[in-house]
Amino acid sequence: MSGAIDYALWIPVLPIVAFPIILFLGNVFKGTDAWRGRWKEGGTIATVVMGTSLGLSIWLIIGYIGQVTGHESVGQVGNWLSFHMVENGNLVSYSFGFGMYLDHVSVMLLFVASFLCFLIAIFSLGYMNSDPVNLDRNHRFYAEFLLFCAGMLGMVLADNFLWLFIFWEIMGLCSYLLIGFYYERPSASYAAKKAFLTTRVGDVFLLIGLLILWNLFGSLDFSVVWAEDNIAAVDAGTLKIALFMMFVGAVGKSAQFPLHVWLPDAMEGPTPVSALIHAATMVNAGLYLVARMYPFFASPAMSGEFTDLAILIAWIGGITAFMAALIAFVQKDIKKVLAYSTMSQLAYIFTGLGAALWFANTGHEEIALLAFGASMFHLFNHAMAKGMLFMASGSVIHEMHHAHHEVAHHDGEHEGHGDNDHFDAQDMSNMGGLASKMPITATAMAVGSASIIGIPLIGGFWSKEGIVGAAWKACLTPGGAWMLGPALLVLITAGMTGFYMSRMWFMTFAGKPKTPVANGVVEQTPFIPIPLVTLTVMTLGGIVFAGFEFVHWVADGHAEMHFSHVLSGIGAEMSHAFLPSGEENGGLIYLVTMLTIVISTIVGPGTAMALYGGRLQKGEKAKPWLAWLVSLSARVRKNNHFDNSTWANSGLAESLHQRLHFDAWYDSAMLKIVVPFANACAWFDQHIIDGAIKGIEYGSQEGSSVIRRLTTGSGRDYIMMAALGTLAIFLLIWGVA
Amino acid sequence: MIDPMWAVVLGVCLFTIGLWGAVTRKNAIIVLMCIEIILNAVNLNFVAAAAQHGDVTGWVYTVFAIAIAAAEVAIGLAIFLSFYGHNETISLDEMELLKH
Amino acid sequence: MADNTNMTMRDREFALVAGLLAISAVLMYVFPSIAVENSAGQIDWITLPLVAFPIIAGAVLMAFASMQPYRLKDRIGQPIKLISVVFALMMLGISSGLLFGWLESIDWDISRYNRYELEFEYSWMQTIGVSWHVGLDGLSFSMVWLTTVLIPIVMITTWEEKMGWYHHPLILMMGGALIGVFVALDFFMFYVFWELTLIPMFFLILKWGGEDRRYAAQKFFIYTFTGSVVMLLGIVTLYFLQPSSQALIDQGVLTGRTFDMTQMAIGAQESANADIAWLGINMQKALFLMFLLGFLVKLPAVPFHTWLPDAHVQAPTAGSMLLAGVMLKMGGYGLFRVCTTLFPEALLEYQWLLLTIGMVSLVYGSFVCLGQTNLKRLVAFSSVSHMGIILLGIATMEPLGFAGAIFMMFAHGIISPLLFAVAGAFKHHYHTLEIGSMRGMAKHSPWLATFMMFGWMASLGLPLLAGFVAEITVLIAFWKAFGWWVILPGVTLIVTAAYYLWSMQKTIFEGGDDGEMPESLGGAPAPDISLWEVSGMMLLAMLTVLFGVLPWIFFDMMTGYAYGLFDGILLNVIGGGA
Repeated sequence: MSGAIDYALWIPVLPIVAFPIILFLGNVFKGTDAWRGRWKEGGTIATVVMGTSLGLSIWLIIGYIGQVTGHESVGQVGNWLSFHMVENGNLVSYSFGFGMYLDHVSVMLLFVASFLCFLIAIFSLGYMNSDPVNLDRNHRFYAEFLLFCAGMLGMVLADNFLWLFIFWEIMGLCSYLLIGFYYERPSASYAAKKAFLTTRVGDVFLLIGLLILWNLFGSLDFSVVWAEDNIAAVDAGTLKIALFMMFVGAVGKSAQFPLHVWLPDAMEGPTPVSALIHAATMVNAGLYLVARMYPFFASPAMSGEFTDLAILIAWIGGITAFMAALIAFVQKDIKKVLAYSTMSQLAYIFTGLGAALWFANTGHEEIALLAFGASMFHLFNHAMAKGMLFMASGSVIHEMHHAHHEVAHHDGEHEGHGDNDHFDAQDMSNMGGLASKMPITATAMAVGSASIIGIPLIGGFWSKEGIVGAAWKACLTPGGAWMLGPALLVLITAGMTGFYMSRMWFMTFAGKPKTPVANGVVEQTPFIPIPLVTLTVMTLGGIVFAGFEFVHWVADGHAEMHFSHVLSGIGAEMSHAFLPSGEENGGLIYLVTMLTIVISTIVGPGTAMALYGGRLQKGEKAKPWLAWLVSLSARVRKNNHFDNSTWANSGLAESLHQRLHFDAWYDSAMLKIVVPFANACAWFDQHIIDGAIKGIEYGSQEGSSVIRRLTTGSGRDYIMMAALGTLAIFLLIWGVA
Repeated sequence: MIDPMWAVVLGVCLFTIGLWGAVTRKNAIIVLMCIEIILNAVNLNFVAAAAQHGDVTGWVYTVFAIAIAAAEVAIGLAIFLSFYGHNETISLDEMELLKH
Repeated sequence: MADNTNMTMRDREFALVAGLLAISAVLMYVFPSIAVENSAGQIDWITLPLVAFPIIAGAVLMAFASMQPYRLKDRIGQPIKLISVVFALMMLGISSGLLFGWLESIDWDISRYNRYELEFEYSWMQTIGVSWHVGLDGLSFSMVWLTTVLIPIVMITTWEEKMGWYHHPLILMMGGALIGVFVALDFFMFYVFWELTLIPMFFLILKWGGEDRRYAAQKFFIYTFTGSVVMLLGIVTLYFLQPSSQALIDQGVLTGRTFDMTQMAIGAQESANADIAWLGINMQKALFLMFLLGFLVKLPAVPFHTWLPDAHVQAPTAGSMLLAGVMLKMGGYGLFRVCTTLFPEALLEYQWLLLTIGMVSLVYGSFVCLGQTNLKRLVAFSSVSHMGIILLGIATMEPLGFAGAIFMMFAHGIISPLLFAVAGAFKHHYHTLEIGSMRGMAKHSPWLATFMMFGWMASLGLPLLAGFVAEITVLIAFWKAFGWWVILPGVTLIVTAAYYLWSMQKTIFEGGDDGEMPESLGGAPAPDISLWEVSGMMLLAMLTVLFGVLPWIFFDMMTGYAYGLFDGILLNVIGGGA
């Protein structure tokens, strides 16, 4: 471990150092062949740097898992800021430092972040560099990408809340820069501003929460703040307020209701950005923050104080999950479906965390650890799967664009780029039948969707069941009646997830191509398949992780992963999932689990197949496992197709198209309240405050022109004035004397 | 010897006449003459005081005042002559260049 | 004949440059051996190199330039600018040498009340008790270093300004006068330099400013002068309230009193130790208010702020950069040097006043910003808003709040010159400052857009840039002192982000492939900023990052100063009550 520790600081520092280097080189060598070719406009540097960070991370993780139990604080540098405060008439000295904190949660996230950053860098080599619209500005992309990675890695490693916040904001900045990458587009510029401002609102809450926290504990270091004695010594009410404020910050960053409005618009950014920031890493920051609140909830001194906060967390999760899934029903844009899916799945994790925190605060430590572990495992699975899904969708969009170019030019009309914008390469109603043309992408997307849906044995299944189970266990435990809402919502949403994810897959890959462009699609871009294949394997390998008792390990600081007993571990997990356990309410929970499996695996996808399934075009052959899926969908459609036009044209659908009107409300609040108030202030400043000054100016000038009349220019008047003045002085002196 | 008070009275009368003239008259030379009258009145006052108290300080002031009056008249006449050369008038009513 | 003139001109140029550089070099070399030493064995690096030389050199250069016939003035411009920059860099070298210990080994973390490094006292006007008393402590040294770093950067950024032969020496004189304010430890000297700074700024606005420059220059001068006159009243009152000392009368001081700040501080500390309000609580409150008015006008704080937008909009780039960067900090500096050090009981009584004014400046300033369409006015009001944080930091009555407020002065002093350099470059190249008149500038002026984004982000408090440290330290102390009122600064953070992002969206983003050029450009191709402007802005950007990542370089001395202030006098006042 010691060897890896020495270099651990390089994990976030290397990308930060490379960021200005790429900017500088990009400016100097812009347009040259070597820079575009071999250096991939900075992509090579970015990939190498992230690869090195990944290597260092893995080295660190291996050392950690092998040698350390519990947590470890390393590399402390004190006195970044040192100061004093007045306490009871004395000056007490405090300081903020910087160090790294490793425990099971941060190690897991470190792996997720560095692994995905690396894979997405490779993906970008193919995606960004082969798109002519990005020519000569990719260096900006790679530089901002590296800065973001540095922010995420730094946040995961930080050992106090201040540096967590600092890196949190850095990620916010990069999100702004990257969403607005195509800044010449008004929609992109608007989306970037919206994202920054919405998360800013959350950040202010988080900041205030940290201020309260500091004033309670005198420090923001994890080791101080989580110490049992310190927690016991502070006021529970104030701590609850602090935690609530921090939670609002997490709501903003992870795009939960009501600060969710920025995530769909954020799809304006290039696809690697969506994959990295808005699926795999940045939105996990909010979850990481809530996870870091666990010790407060688990503290015996605070037992029972925070239950309402935990229930609130679960409710927000439940509401967002349901709402996002509902809106995903009507989305035509493939990236928007994934965006809402992200929102929904993150909400799942919030629900799981809410349940875990509730259990922790009511003294059910073992169940709390299981629920917490399930939530973290779901974070892991979701990050892998969603990152892959976005990359796969990027692959589809990319090839659609290429095909559009071919089609447009083949027709002999050399249309300019402007015309391309009219053809929406992201619209699923332009796709169809791509399973045979894009085998790798289709497989990746199928596996990813399966993981998200929770198809048994594949990635997300293991964690999702844990979350649903935890929520139901909570509502069945005495005192947990309020958890019924989230539990129900999460159950229903499982089915909905099955529907909309399958809908997405079948609209894109099954059936016949709906446009000539879709017909001409070929999977040809280099580099893109690499991350897709890697992550497919990872997702399918979720079962192995489950076998490691990953869930247990993540939650419990003292647990260990049992690498040697993988098979028995897998067996234990399987029995855990598919057989009723003997515990309290075990029967009901088992029923719920089975119900979830049924609706998410059979009802949801089945309905989607019925509406959107279909055989491939004649003469097209897909890979065997894809072909099976497509023909299944064709059969279901033939037998069970029903008309959904009443649903599609209903008022509810219309409302969903408007994203349930939240965006419109927020926009009009800004326009109707804030902007007029600002204009009023500006008017007030110019006319009233400055008006007073101008009044003084005017008054003094008028007064001066009145007094000036004394200077008549006539000598006689002056002599008179002199004489009178002398007389006055004489009288004064005479009077005084 | 007459009572020095009478000299003071004469001085006051002369002062009033001179002041009235300086303020009222239009012709600049006349005004200068009136200022001379004022100064002479003041000199009378000083002499009377000196005579009453027997203090030579009064006569010293008088000599100073005479010398300064002479200098002042010289400069004043020079200014008015130069002004007349430009403007063909020395009526105080028409010297309004410094009006606001 | 023409050849003759050219040769003579070149000779004169060479002679001027060589001569002045030689003299300066000789002086710098000989200086340590002839310079005065104080009791601690330190050389007086302040009086001549930092205060007198810049002012004298600036005056000499301007005089030399004015003596040239008009047609030769252009030729003389380059060498004069070069000499000015060299002087400025020498000043920077000295102050950095003092910072890092190359010239004198000084521990700037002084942590004692009323203690100064490099303290020198020369008798000046003995008969009324005025002496030339200079010294540096944690508060003033950071401001001095800030000034010495800004002067060369301003000169570089505005290298291509017209009439450079007057412009750059004027900036040099400005620098000398500003440093004079910060090192002064005698009230008379303080006031002289305080007013002296107005003069170069007045001329900068008058000669190089925009269309309405006469009005703006007059308003700036008279408005701030009025505030300063009230402060002068306070100074004189304070002077006459001191007890008359027979020892001083024997030395030839007619009134038996001195203007010396350090003596007054000793008196204040003794009173605080004895739990008595120095000079009587009512007198102290009156004096506090008199000084406060002068400083509030300078800061500027609402409602005395309306001179700033006009002055900034009309001022040239150099004027704005120096005005926002250093001149405004004089107000904050004065608050610390006079109001907190000498009038602690009054400070405690008026804590609510500072809180109110600071809060109004902060929140109201940011909302007014949101309603602006002129780029420079927007940045001017954001300055008003940030200066409110300084008042809030002082109002908290915590050492952290004080240190944070001083760091805000420092950080804002680096960031706002960058903002004004950007705005000035906009005006210079696009001939307009209207936010609504353009779109998509990033495509045509990428460097300008980059620095605009960087500066805007720094100003709204992005972490790892200097502004964040200032904000978070003040906010931590603020919660401790005032609890839930912190919501108002929180709202301001959001509004600040809103107006900055909105202005970026409307100027440098959007606009399709070609953008939308303002009419003021008249169809000419859109320019990007020159190398000089890029260099200046890059230096400021690097400094912003440096002090965001390594704030302790100056934060430690500010903490030490705050500790000394509290340990020396304020703890007694808070605990004992007056």
